[in-house]
Amino acid sequence: MGKIFDWIDSHFGVKEPHKRFLQRTIPPNVNYSYCLGGIAFTYFLMLAFTGLLLSIYYVPSEKEAFKSIIAITNEVTLGWFIRSLHKWSANLFIVFIIFHAIRVFIHKAYKPPRELNWMAGVLGFVVAMASGFTGYLLPWDQKAYWATEVGTSMFGTVPLIGDYLIYAVRGGLDINGTTLIRFYSLHVLYLPISMVIILWAHFHMVKRQGIAKRL
Amino acid sequence: MKRRDFLKKVIKAFFLTLTAFIFSASIYIYPSNIRKRRFHYIYLMDEDDLPKKGVRKIEFHYEREHRIVNSRVFVVAGNDKFTAFSPVCTHLGCLVNWDNNKKEFLCPCHGGKYNASGEVIAGPPPKPLTRLPLEIKDGKVYVGIKV
Ligand code: FES
Repeated sequence: MGKIFDWIDSHFGVKEPHKRFLQRTIPPNVNYSYCLGGIAFTYFLMLAFTGLLLSIYYVPSEKEAFKSIIAITNEVTLGWFIRSLHKWSANLFIVFIIFHAIRVFIHKAYKPPRELNWMAGVLGFVVAMASGFTGYLLPWDQKAYWATEVGTSMFGTVPLIGDYLIYAVRGGLDINGTTLIRFYSLHVLYLPISMVIILWAHFHMVKRQGIAKRL
Repeated sequence: MKRRDFLKKVIKAFFLTLTAFIFSASIYIYPSNIRKRRFHYIYLMDEDDLPKKGVRKIEFHYEREHRIVNSRVFVVAGNDKFTAFSPVCTHLGCLVNWDNNKKEFLCPCHGGKYNASGEVIAGPPPKPLTRLPLEIKDGKVYVGIKV
């Protein structure tokens, strides 16, 4: 294993530049609360992986969406398991982002020079919530429909551009198949790509600035 | 032209293109089939079926853009006067239900409550339930809604 990796690396050369990242010294007095962000990231990986699997069976159309969800749960071997993993990882992802933010807040790690990283984190949280909101519609059942009805109605309360926003988000006057496709596209393309970019920036800044020491 | 001036121009052009692109994108995502809802009278039931007293939920459907839309109204009987209420909560658009024991309309989403005349008695709704015009012609009852 090591030999194969060394051979690849002799051509590819990823080991050297990442040494500083992987073998850096960690300040004393860190404890397990510093793992919270890492746990959230692990959930993100789980979501990406189970999401890729779900996308093989899920059909994002008005007629098929609900049926395909039923099929994933009842007919596909281990489908119920993958779907539950996705669902629970999504919930715990949000929970651990919040725990992580609380830890950062308590340690005052949002202060300069790390303020930009705090902003990146907040942006990531917004994207995570947006993923949750768009993903919630995809089962295309009553709960999903009404949650989206309420959620998109909130866009309508924005002054001046409210009407534009609500119809642009719904893709029509009411929630229908167009909305479903929009949300699906956001959920599997736009938001994950944004998330990857944000996380890259987040980790890059952690690498540059080190982790904040306890007060 | 100096190199510096040239670069400045390039940067300017880049941002102009970007603005144009974002502008077209935001037009592109706006659905092209948005039109104003138009007012229609839709057949509800026969006059004899009007409730004698209390509140009755009446389901009906109509066609819009080649699809059947199911809808409902609440008809409240007063002293030989009828009022029709839209079931759409004025808060964020969930459908309310009539609770016959408590004599109030209840919204399942955030606990909005209205009394039998449609006024808000609890929860976040900012306005009373929308009244819909009723029309009785040749023994048939029609309700006016925006389709
Ligand atoms: S939508 Fe009815 S109370 Fe919020």
